[in-house]
Amino acid sequence: MKRFLVAYATAVYLFLYLPLAVLGAFSVNASKIAVWRGFTWNWYTQVFHNEALLQGMMNSLIIAISATVICTVLGTLAGYALWKRRSALLVGSLFLSLLTPEIVAGVSLLAFFEWLFRFVHVQLGMYTVILAHVSFCLVYVVMVILARLRTFDGSLEEAALDLGATEWEAFRRITVPLLWPAILAAALLCFTVSFDDYVITSLVAGVNSETLPMIIYAMARRGVSPEVNALSVLITVGLGVLILVAGRLENAS
Amino acid sequence: MKRLRAIFLAPSALVMALLFFAPLLIVLAYSLLTRGPYGGVMLPWSGESYTRAFDPLYGEILWRSIWIAALSTFLCAVLAFPLALFIARSQKHKTLLLNLVMLPFWTSFLIRTYAWMFLLRDTGLINSALEGLHLIRAPLPLLFNSGAVVLGLVYGYLPFMVLPLYATLEKLDGALLDAAADLGASPFVSVWRIVLPLSRPGLIAGCVLVFVPCLGAYLTPDLMGGGKTVMLGNLVQNQFTSARDWPFGSAVSLLLMLLVVVVTALLSRKSEELL
Amino acid sequence: MNRRGFLIGAVGGLAACSAGKPRLNVYNWENYVASTTIPNFEREFDCRVRYSTYGSAEEMLAKVMGGNSGWDVVFPSNSFVQPMRDLALLERLDHNNLANLLNLDSRFRSPEWDPHLEWCVPYMHSSTGILYSKSVSRPPLAWADLWTDSYGRRVTMLDDPAEVFAACLKRLGCSINSGNPRELAAARDLAIRQKPLLRAYLNEEVRDQVIAGDVLVAQMWAQVSQVAMDNSHELAFSFPLEGFALYCDNAAILRESKHKRLAYDFLNYLLEPRVAADIAVEMRTATANGAARALLPERDRENPVLYPTPDILKRGEWFKALPGPVQRLRDRYWTEIKSA
Repeated sequence: MKRFLVAYATAVYLFLYLPLAVLGAFSVNASKIAVWRGFTWNWYTQVFHNEALLQGMMNSLIIAISATVICTVLGTLAGYALWKRRSALLVGSLFLSLLTPEIVAGVSLLAFFEWLFRFVHVQLGMYTVILAHVSFCLVYVVMVILARLRTFDGSLEEAALDLGATEWEAFRRITVPLLWPAILAAALLCFTVSFDDYVITSLVAGVNSETLPMIIYAMARRGVSPEVNALSVLITVGLGVLILVAGRLENAS
Repeated sequence: MKRLRAIFLAPSALVMALLFFAPLLIVLAYSLLTRGPYGGVMLPWSGESYTRAFDPLYGEILWRSIWIAALSTFLCAVLAFPLALFIARSQKHKTLLLNLVMLPFWTSFLIRTYAWMFLLRDTGLINSALEGLHLIRAPLPLLFNSGAVVLGLVYGYLPFMVLPLYATLEKLDGALLDAAADLGASPFVSVWRIVLPLSRPGLIAGCVLVFVPCLGAYLTPDLMGGGKTVMLGNLVQNQFTSARDWPFGSAVSLLLMLLVVVVTALLSRKSEELL
Repeated sequence: MNRRGFLIGAVGGLAACSAGKPRLNVYNWENYVASTTIPNFEREFDCRVRYSTYGSAEEMLAKVMGGNSGWDVVFPSNSFVQPMRDLALLERLDHNNLANLLNLDSRFRSPEWDPHLEWCVPYMHSSTGILYSKSVSRPPLAWADLWTDSYGRRVTMLDDPAEVFAACLKRLGCSINSGNPRELAAARDLAIRQKPLLRAYLNEEVRDQVIAGDVLVAQMWAQVSQVAMDNSHELAFSFPLEGFALYCDNAAILRESKHKRLAYDFLNYLLEPRVAADIAVEMRTATANGAARALLPERDRENPVLYPTPDILKRGEWFKALPGPVQRLRDRYWTEIKSA
């Protein structure tokens, strides 16, 4: 079975990376359209000169990381509390936030912020985007944590309590470390959802906080710009290297 | 315990109250107003958007969306389960393998969809390869149909199935599988009868995280489906863009929410673990 | 000095550097300025420009409707000018600040949607026709050709209700802005009849497929078609015999703008012949600026796809803003067409 799983996993990874291979091929294509015209590194150098693109990526990273940190903390705490005793209202509202089509969420958040701005003099910007992202990413964290807690052995915590620990200590020193892989998985999911969001972000971003998906969507819909392909390859390779390094460090420790 | 629990719940409850319920009330208000001539809403109040929604045309769209979303969710689960199991059981590289699953999804979904369109179209890579190997004589219609939409959805939502499954499978005690093997069960049997039931919460979470957003998907049916299939996501998206009928879009969204809530409530009575 | 102090100092220093210059926020369609346009403007007027793009006029309208979006200059299509004026979103233009207005082509000095140019300045224009591969046995010179089964189902239409209805209505001999329920129902029936013959409803993304030969015939905008034809000599473009749609994107200043002086400078700058010509050449668009057109190389100036001759233009019709009930009927029919 081990060999079957390895072969299967390889096939699935190939499936996942196939479009990226296509993007990689086009990122070195000397033509702006999807017909092969020769090899070139031009598009990569153009990426580094495209200030807007780099600024957009910076914004996306800031937003995604902020939203992920907030959601992971809030979501883990909430998931734990919900595991102890359900709250139909909170779970229901989280579920509904998943169900809301993006454009409905975006339009309504925009209207909410604009109403809010009559009392608080802030404009649309990074803060509104981060808040919007938190609102629709929270459910992902809670669902992953809850799913993990369902198979969790509560007796460990009870033992700690019996031995004199407070509930907070039991949570912090027993549950959280055991929950850690799930927390990481949830954070990963949250980051992914936030990093690539377009519809909601574009509506609440305002003038100043253009994110990478907004730029890419604008460029891509009018005919895919090869710079976008080059940037995607750069992101993939860059993050891939980071992941490999982190994996090495993890194994070493 | 109660106080700790209240503290833990408070921030999330606040977030949902402000950033979900308040906008939801706005959506409700929108659904009961009249469409502005150029988008937006205006008085008078009217329940017309709701009465319009009860039309066989939209029922057909709902049914098609449920069908495609269910199929995609099923295939996603089938595809993701062995992968999640593989990652969970691997000794040394769990985080690395998990990150490698997510890595493609940090590049824009739109351009990956374009890449799929390039792969699947008649002169695309797959058809050209198959023709070159003389396995087919005419190009297969791999794009612009419901099958392509399902493929696009499965591809786009795979991580949403893999991660919750991994989160539950990760804690799986290898000793259980060893014991089953000792007792003579084949690997596949032990997976089917031991692993699968234990991973149920993760499986259910994954199915919810895939099925529900699939209902609201609009980009994949538009591009992979060639704009020829209308799903609920397209219908709602359309109301806020070219149709400029915000009240109707809001009403359809709220009715969809109501429907799913009712169905989930009925299912939850049978199985406590759904949420 | 500790790290935090350094960071604060650096950020403060940077902020001080750029705090002096005013900033203009421009919101435009993609691919509508050349690579030198914005930098040259920033240099000439000693300011900064935040330049952002959108993919659909409705998206722009949704953001701007609140009256508090932060944008200064936007580019509505001609059918959006009157609605935006009615919603009190636009600044009434003072021609004293727009000396270069005279550069406009005579066709755009007094356009249908704004006869006195009080609200907008025409920028770039285009039309919708048929892009096709020269290899087809029967060149599609009329909309009716798209209903014959001569192209092996390798036909696409635009994924835009206004455009699909325009084609069907023209085929029926009606106006593209028709609100007549019977005409619209007939158009819907036509579109449903056409659907089995179509490969897909696609916008610009079909361009690469036409070049590669996957799609033989596509309803397409003239500008995108021009780019496709630049990349492949096998392609041609036709203005359908029954008639076709025209549209024009216009520059406008939002009433909420806090940099109106700079916005006027920008509009005036865009009207300069050299600037408009550079954009037209690099982006392959058709400029509404007559003086700029005169500066273009002859091959572009007389390009029949970008600048149709008057006898072809006679068949063209401008899109108009449609009243609410008509819009709703069209949308209902569009949903029926797409679901069929």
